[in-house]
Amino acid sequence: MFTSTPFRRSLLQVLPLTAGFIVLVAISVASIIYVGRAREANAMVVRSVEVEKQISAVLLDVRHAESAARGYLLSTYERFLNQHELAATNLQDNLAKLRELSADNPVQLHNAEELSTAVRDHLAYLGKLIDLAKSNNQAEGIALLRAPESGQTILRISDISNMMRREEDRLFAARTIAADRLQEITSLVTIAGSGLVVALAAFSIFMLRRSAQARDEAEAQLRDNNLNLEETVAERTADLREANEEIQRFAYIVSHDLRSPLVNIMGFTSELEELRNDIFRRIAALSRAASPAPPTAENASDDAEPALSPEDASLSKDFGEALDFIKSSISKMDRLISAILQLTREGRREFRPVQVDVGELIEGIVATVAHQASEANATITVRPLPAIVSDRLALEQIFSNLIDNALKYLKSDVPGEIVISARTKLGFVIFEVTDNGRGIDPKDHQRIFELFRRAGPQDRPGQGIGLAHVRALVRRLGGTMSVSSELNAGSTFTVMLPAKWTMRSQDKSA
Amino acid sequence: MSKPVTIIMIEDDEGHARLIERNIRRSGVNNDIIPFTNGTDAVRYLFGADGTGKAHENEALLILLDLNLPDMSGIDILRRVKENVYVKTAPVVVLTTTDDAQEIKRCYELGCNVYITKPVNYESFANAIRQLGLFFSVIQVPQAAT
Repeated sequence: MFTSTPFRRSLLQVLPLTAGFIVLVAISVASIIYVGRAREANAMVVRSVEVEKQISAVLLDVRHAESAARGYLLSTYERFLNQHELAATNLQDNLAKLRELSADNPVQLHNAEELSTAVRDHLAYLGKLIDLAKSNNQAEGIALLRAPESGQTILRISDISNMMRREEDRLFAARTIAADRLQEITSLVTIAGSGLVVALAAFSIFMLRRSAQARDEAEAQLRDNNLNLEETVAERTADLREANEEIQRFAYIVSHDLRSPLVNIMGFTSELEELRNDIFRRIAALSRAASPAPPTAENASDDAEPALSPEDASLSKDFGEALDFIKSSISKMDRLISAILQLTREGRREFRPVQVDVGELIEGIVATVAHQASEANATITVRPLPAIVSDRLALEQIFSNLIDNALKYLKSDVPGEIVISARTKLGFVIFEVTDNGRGIDPKDHQRIFELFRRAGPQDRPGQGIGLAHVRALVRRLGGTMSVSSELNAGSTFTVMLPAKWTMRSQDKSA
Repeated sequence: MSKPVTIIMIEDDEGHARLIERNIRRSGVNNDIIPFTNGTDAVRYLFGADGTGKAHENEALLILLDLNLPDMSGIDILRRVKENVYVKTAPVVVLTTTDDAQEIKRCYELGCNVYITKPVNYESFANAIRQLGLFFSVIQVPQAAT
């Protein structure tokens, strides 16, 4: 639904415009065709008129030729002879033109041929008259004129020409009607097309208006949504920040309240230890009193460890062992609680972005661990490092933890090599702390970043806090960190930090 | 010295109270110790039924104060003590598990005389209390105005 509605709407918008264009083209083409046809039809009408005119011209020439021939016969004037010859020549020309004009119509062409024959016969007859006049034989010429068959040819000429005229009249009427109809059709097509174009244009305008309205509405909606979104984001951020603060407070209170009973446990355990000493001293004294005292015990002071019987000594040892376990466990718990407290405190510390020369900072860290490094037979190489804008203390904690770890988990049989390098990428600086130490099994890569979790042989002191702390710091500085390592093949810890960290990125993560 | 100093110990954890008392005694201090396990009782004792604290006008007091009490914050008690004309001269030793720098600063600002963090390590704990005992014997607890 969501995708098809706008598609349909845009189709509805494009369709009328396209249709309008097509109709316009069709009208133009049709107009051109129909105008061409109308011109042809008109030409045909004109031709009919011309044919009629030509027939008249032929008839006129026939009359001229005849009257000139008759005049010559009566007067034998040269002038009439010249006139006759001129008319005869014109007649031939006009007949040729008539045949040409009626070439498209077989009926008329046939008629024109007939007319030509009739005219030729008539001219032959007139020629005979002139010949008679030339030989001064006027009487015979007049007799020929009087002969009944003398009007035959002229009659035939007028018959044929009348027939041609009728035919041409019929054609003229038909052609006029055809031309009119064509004109009517042309104008009809134009009107209908124009109407269609206007209708389509109106429809387009309507659609355009409607879509513009829809767009305005959508825009308003979008603006509203944006506002709402910002509000929602601000609300969520505030909620998150509150939740985070809540967790920090919770961790602080819990670790703090856990410490209170621990003070008691430790205190009374120590008191018990005192009591144990007192009890066993008394037991020793009692057993000494019960049995004949050895002379050496005479001048032994009260503080000196009293001699116990073997059973009592073993009891005292068990007692002491139990107390030692309790005490070491309490110490461990105390360290863990201190670690949590420190982490929550770190979480609450305000970070301040300052320009930090990381190279200098790491050289400082390296100097403080120089003793440990020489003890571990390790060399630390610091490649050129850029200066970045970040929190100085956090950076110090991040790198001293990583370098500490690298030194702590070196292989005992190989001289250690620790390299710190950096490269810049898209506003971030990627730091790498690489060692050739014992490495970390890939299945532990996530684990080592978790609080109180450690990996590999547990032969080094530590609480499993360092990397968790480092990762929390890196995240607060708007960065990410990862490890790539294989067992016995060294490790590389990668820390990606923004080159220019601002307080705003802290707000995002806080 | 008309009257010996009375130590008022406000500590909700009875174990802690016992350990503190033992170590005070071990350091050779034999003054009276009046223990309170909650803030309300301590306040009632310190300021009396009328809330003025006039009852202690002529007494020499020393207050051992825990900050995390079940019914109120030790800081409130500290503030009230230091605001009261009759008992404000009494030294206040804050003895608590919190080692938060902010908290410590606040206590000193409000007029606490010594701030001691209870260490889990008992040696350190005993040491701190014993030193406090030494401190008791050295300091001149001021007499209330007569």
